[in-house]
Amino acid sequence: MPVNSQSKVMTAREAVARFVAPGCVLGMGGQNVGRIPMALTHEILRQGIGGLTILGCNLSIAMDLLVGAGLVRRTESGTGNLERFGTTFQWRRAIEAGVLQHRDYSHLAMVSRFLAGEMGLPFMPTKSLLGSDILNKHPDGGDGYVLMDNPWGEHEPVALLPAACPDVAIIHAQRADELGNVIIEGFAAHDVEMVRASRAAIVSCEEVVSSEETRRRPELTAIPYLYVSAVVEQPFGGHPTSVYRAYDFDSDHLTHYQACAREGGQMYQKYLERYVLGCDGFDDYLERIGGVKRLHALRQAMQGMM
Amino acid sequence: MTVDAPISTDYTANELMVIEASRHINDGDMVLAGTGMPLIAITLAQKSHAPHLCAVVETGIIDPELLPSPVSVSDPRIQYRAVKLGSLRDALACVLQRGMIDIGMIGGAQIDQFANVNSTVIGDYAAPRVRFPGSGGANDVASHSRRLLIITRHEKRRFPERVDYITSPGYIDGPDGRRKAGLPTPQQDITIVTDLCVMEIDKGVGRLKVAALMPGVTLDRVLDNTLFKPLVAERLAQVEPPSEEYIRILREEVDPQRVYFRGAGEG
Repeated sequence: MPVNSQSKVMTAREAVARFVAPGCVLGMGGQNVGRIPMALTHEILRQGIGGLTILGCNLSIAMDLLVGAGLVRRTESGTGNLERFGTTFQWRRAIEAGVLQHRDYSHLAMVSRFLAGEMGLPFMPTKSLLGSDILNKHPDGGDGYVLMDNPWGEHEPVALLPAACPDVAIIHAQRADELGNVIIEGFAAHDVEMVRASRAAIVSCEEVVSSEETRRRPELTAIPYLYVSAVVEQPFGGHPTSVYRAYDFDSDHLTHYQACAREGGQMYQKYLERYVLGCDGFDDYLERIGGVKRLHALRQAMQGMM
Repeated sequence: MTVDAPISTDYTANELMVIEASRHINDGDMVLAGTGMPLIAITLAQKSHAPHLCAVVETGIIDPELLPSPVSVSDPRIQYRAVKLGSLRDALACVLQRGMIDIGMIGGAQIDQFANVNSTVIGDYAAPRVRFPGSGGANDVASHSRRLLIITRHEKRRFPERVDYITSPGYIDGPDGRRKAGLPTPQQDITIVTDLCVMEIDKGVGRLKVAALMPGVTLDRVLDNTLFKPLVAERLAQVEPPSEEYIRILREEVDPQRVYFRGAGEG
């Protein structure tokens, strides 16, 4: 596995081909309209890697794209949505049509499952979910959770949830060095727990920096290279979602995606073709959504908030 | 900026709903708010009567200055000048589950007579007619907050006798419901603020009671728009209309881009 002398920098194409296998359990980082690994997701779409099980806390546009392209068998999460931009329509439709399995948890429940995974434990207790149908109607019954009383307390039940250990995690961050040390700015969501719980991880980033920089300020490292398999440099790799300090989310494009996802059918296929499948990589996509001018405006919008 | 201020005559039902919700936040409260109207209500509270509230947002944001018109719990507009930008675990486990949240605020698609909230499915869970986004942090907020406040539009279909799916537990099936389930806040205060009224949980029976009506709204109108039969307070209060100053703050400082509110008379 990882050594501290070998560069893991590669293209998205190479990283996805090497580490994302058909039928694998894929962990997804980011939340809603923040720091979603869009460039890596587009690459999975272009390579048509199917039969996926997707895990996350909130799953949003990246998951919706993979579901819409028919590449997903099952999802496990606290939510599928884009908040003010609406629900994840392709996901919703697939569940309503009975073609996608889904397992409901809360956000704390999912992050607790990743926490168990990253600490090498088989399960994690939580005091969330008690009395709810997330437990009482759990499709896996006793395989999905176990209730037990605190052995040292009186009527203090907890729900034990199984560890979540994805085969591969994908996240997008502000910076990583060539070895795979990752710096996350702004909120971290569940990314750190999830990456450390996963058997492999691909990190795309706005900028690859030198590991000399990491060693000068090691306290800034959110995830050390031990857990990271590949580093992909992709500026604006989270578009149309936001990346803290780098750029704001792209309301216009999110609204356009949501309209296509809601409409479905040909309109959705056209979106996939125009913005993903017909693109020669993510830089080509960035040209198609408005290029330098648009991206500059999103950068300025973020700077205005700093 | 209280009762002495001039009373506004130019406001919408949605605006008063959010203002009334914000009144339940005390200065100095530690608040965890979900996306949408709850985020707007805490932004308003921070800019008016509760400048010292400590907002905690589930994505890991602790005590930010809330900028106008946030649309998501991942929006950079709610990360400004925070004291910590951490993880979901920092917010939901180390603050919320740890028992530190005074008041949690969520929305919901369906709320029943026991204040159980459904944000998961309409119909059979195994074969849903309509699939909603799911719990998110709502189950966690409903499980662990000392006080729970739910903001929602008052429509008949949103208030069934029993929710199709308990995403976030209220009193579950009666006064002992939370205790029997082992929830850490068995005697939680629960308030529902809608565009028609304010309901509160009656802990003696574990059911919702209409406590106050919005100005100009009759009790019959509330009952006509509620599928379950709520209890009714003996002395039914009227929600105070907003001051001009609150309306100004809401329109100019909280949602100047009108992401959440259109003009007066529009909704």
